Amino acid sequence: MRQAGAYSGILCGGISGRTGPHSLPLARIKKIMKKSGEDVKMISGEAPIVFSKACELFIEELTRRSWIIAIHGKRRTLHKDDVASAVVATDIFDFLVTLVSHNHGSALNNANNDGAVMEIQTLEYS
Amino acid sequence: MKQILPTNAKISKEAKETMQECVSEFISFVTGEASDKCHKEKRKTVNGDDICWALATLGFDDYAEPLKRYLHKFRELECEKANNQNHNKVINTTNRNNNNLIEKYNSYGGDDDED
Repeated sequence: MRQAGAYSGILCGGISGRTGPHSLPLARIKKIMKKSGEDVKMISGEAPIVFSKACELFIEELTRRSWIIAIHGKRRTLHKDDVASAVVATDIFDFLVTLVSHNHGSALNNANNDGAVMEIQTLEYS
Repeated sequence: MKQILPTNAKISKEAKETMQECVSEFISFVTGEASDKCHKEKRKTVNGDDICWALATLGFDDYAEPLKRYLHKFRELECEKANNQNHNKVINTTNRNNNNLIEKYNSYGGDDDED
């Protein structure tokens, strides 16, 4: 199983350098792709563009799930722990568990909140 | 993020930073899988199809289908662009040739209609 690596933070530092209609900077996406492994030598021009769209979908899903947790906690401000809890509660985000656990110690505590987990499961089946 | 949430929702700076870290990790994770596939198939270049395949393999089935359609549309547009550029090249070359011919014709006194 692929383990989460130490590649986070590369996308941080602002989202300047947007090119064209894509909302994420293609050059930065390409940079992250190249750093992901020694085997990654050549990347087609379309790959960062596909990723730009994929990342939009990813952000949309993670944000929605995090928001459900915030609402359950009767808050209107999304906190990092809400994101961490959403990661822990979603199977396909397993690769992020190490990342959010290292950065956010209370993530596991929040994930034990049965109510929040129930909400996420409702989302899965809807 | 703001586009997805209600207008009265707020996002803490740390939540944004965490999201950015997650996105970076997502890209690395999927790229790694796509790259492995290329390596096994003895190909050097990771392309859009590899990304779509990797997403489906890693459980992001809901993303794979819309992205395949997106990729298909992108490739169609690129083809059109390339065809238009070739078409323009041909027109420009034809125009240049015509202009050269006209200049030659003029230099032989072809426009001189007066008696």
